[in-house]
Amino acid sequence: MFEKLRSLMKILAIDRDQIEKPLTTYPRYKGFRRTLLLVMSVITLTPLIVTATLSFYQYRNLLKDEAEHYLRWNAQSTQKTVTYFINDIVTVLQYYAGEYTCEQLADPLTLGTLFVRLKRKHPGLVDLSLVDQSGIQTTYAGPYNLIGRDYSRSDWFPKAVSHETFISTAFLGYRDIPHFVVTVSKRTANQAVCGLLKASIDSETLDKFIATTKTEASDDIFLIDYGGNLQTSSRFYGNAVSGLFPLARLPNRGDVTLEYARSKSESGQEFRAYAYIDNTPWILVLVKKGYAYGEGWNQFKNQMHAIVIISIILVLVVVVRVANILVDRVRHSDAAREAIIAEAEHNSKLASIGRLAAGVAHEINNPLAIIDQKAGLMKDLMDISDDFQYKAKFAELIGGVQNAVSRCKVITHRLLGFARRMDVTPEPVMVNELIREVLAFLEKEILYRNIRLELELRDNLPTIRSDRGQLQQIFLNIINNAIDAVEDEGYVRIATTRQDAFLRVDITDNGPGIPQETMKHIFEPFFTTKTKGEHKGTGLGLSITYGLVTKLGGTIKVDSVVGEGTTFTVLLPLD
Amino acid sequence: MQNPRVLIVDDEKEFASTLAERLNMRNMEAVAVYCAEDALALIHTADHVPDVVLLDLKMPNIDGLQALEAIKQYDSSIEVIMLTGHGDRKIIEGISSLILDYIIKPVDLPELIKKIGAATQKRRAALPGAEGGTA
Repeated sequence: MFEKLRSLMKILAIDRDQIEKPLTTYPRYKGFRRTLLLVMSVITLTPLIVTATLSFYQYRNLLKDEAEHYLRWNAQSTQKTVTYFINDIVTVLQYYAGEYTCEQLADPLTLGTLFVRLKRKHPGLVDLSLVDQSGIQTTYAGPYNLIGRDYSRSDWFPKAVSHETFISTAFLGYRDIPHFVVTVSKRTANQAVCGLLKASIDSETLDKFIATTKTEASDDIFLIDYGGNLQTSSRFYGNAVSGLFPLARLPNRGDVTLEYARSKSESGQEFRAYAYIDNTPWILVLVKKGYAYGEGWNQFKNQMHAIVIISIILVLVVVVRVANILVDRVRHSDAAREAIIAEAEHNSKLASIGRLAAGVAHEINNPLAIIDQKAGLMKDLMDISDDFQYKAKFAELIGGVQNAVSRCKVITHRLLGFARRMDVTPEPVMVNELIREVLAFLEKEILYRNIRLELELRDNLPTIRSDRGQLQQIFLNIINNAIDAVEDEGYVRIATTRQDAFLRVDITDNGPGIPQETMKHIFEPFFTTKTKGEHKGTGLGLSITYGLVTKLGGTIKVDSVVGEGTTFTVLLPLD
Repeated sequence: MQNPRVLIVDDEKEFASTLAERLNMRNMEAVAVYCAEDALALIHTADHVPDVVLLDLKMPNIDGLQALEAIKQYDSSIEVIMLTGHGDRKIIEGISSLILDYIIKPVDLPELIKKIGAATQKRRAALPGAEGGTA
């Protein structure tokens, strides 16, 4: 019968409010959320980053190709312009040399006329003169007085003498202005050289020419000789004649040669194009300060970074939100599922309560009626008998029995009341006494299974104000668990003591103990390890106990060592 | 007025006998029997039929309901108060026209005495010449 009562009390203890613990705190949802966040972030961010990186390099290559193309085109057009300019002067000089006799050219008047004519076409022409074979300038037409000058020691003179047509590199000369000369050999009718027809042109003229061909494709454009000496002024490498360009090796003949080299002024690469100017000692050089530089590139980089960062932030915000929504959904559907299970269990339990309650109530009420009547009769007899030695004591004892019967009546009425939710009705409770009452329910099993029960109930503990029925349920659940946990002939120890403003009850058993993993879930609803046999658990016992202890303002905790045993500690407030 | 005559029928011997004893101490003539058969036999053979029968609902062999039927058939004036270990309202409602009242165990004695008194009065008032018989 006690067995029946115990199981019934367990069933009755279902309290819907206590089952609904907040599910958000469960660590499994945290793990789920973390995994979800990670997977979704990787899935969404990987293509974004890959696309951005590819775009970055593709755009860079595009810029590079474009820069190459334009630089080459710029070089070719400049090359043509310079070649045309020089060829034009050479052609005119060759024409003069062919058409006019040595005597005519030696005539200052005739030479002056030719100079004016040529100057009209090429304003950059400084002067026109005739130099004899010994290097003396015999005739001169131009703004300076340079008649009689001796050029035999000039660098260009020996080379000019040995070539029909000659173009010099830039030099300062007598005027101390960077310029170059174009010479054509003048021969007599019998092919003897009578002198050199010489035209001087300022480097500045070439500068101007080149400047007209300069586009955005290049940052600097100038001419050098084969030794790297500047023939025109350069933005980065200095002025004509004085400046030196670090030409590592001569570029290939033929088409435009492209090269990357370390920049002189800034850190980083610069992009160079070389082209020979035919029939001259010059090489055209174009410099571009890198293809991935400048306003456009920086703008692109900044935009790219901004887009990528904003996209990542947006993606993360969306991922976090979606993960939260998903986890919430899962959690809610879990909660709903648990609620349905709880509801189903609750309903099926209610049905069995009806049958069990009737049986238990009948079984208990009968012996209770006997006790009640016996005690009543004893009281009746005492009332009519004379005083005897222990009359008062007996009267008290009988009163105690009748009180106990009344209490049992309350219990059976509760059974019959189908476990309506009981509000906390505080009354003075002696916890030691209450534990002994609870043990009375279990004493048969303790006896049969030969379990050693050790009671260390501290005397003179203060009375607490609490709900007797619910305290009984709490201790019945815990002690019952302890008895279920131990082997036959195991031991259960119950100790009460005072701890600060609390009354402390420790229930210790020497059962198998609880593994760490199980401990985490021990107070969760529907968590049970008793899955088999007669003692199959509902998974609600400790959850309800936890709820009841909390409701009464107390706390419950569990300590366990696998292989040694478990201690449940309940702290109940002293008022 | 003559003391109420009470017959207690309950298979819980200890309960029935103790209750009888206590009622006897309170100016009643109470007799306890422990099965329906004995109760019916007693009613048939006794000089005086009881005023009130306290009848347990659940008993082996002949249960309270069968016993109630037999008693009422024999003498419908006998008042019956059912005793029950639990409040099975459906059964009680089903027989409410045959019984005076019902009491759930454990019994509250003052309440029971009140009900026995009321039952006795009701029965004797209904019996013609009953007063005269005792006079």
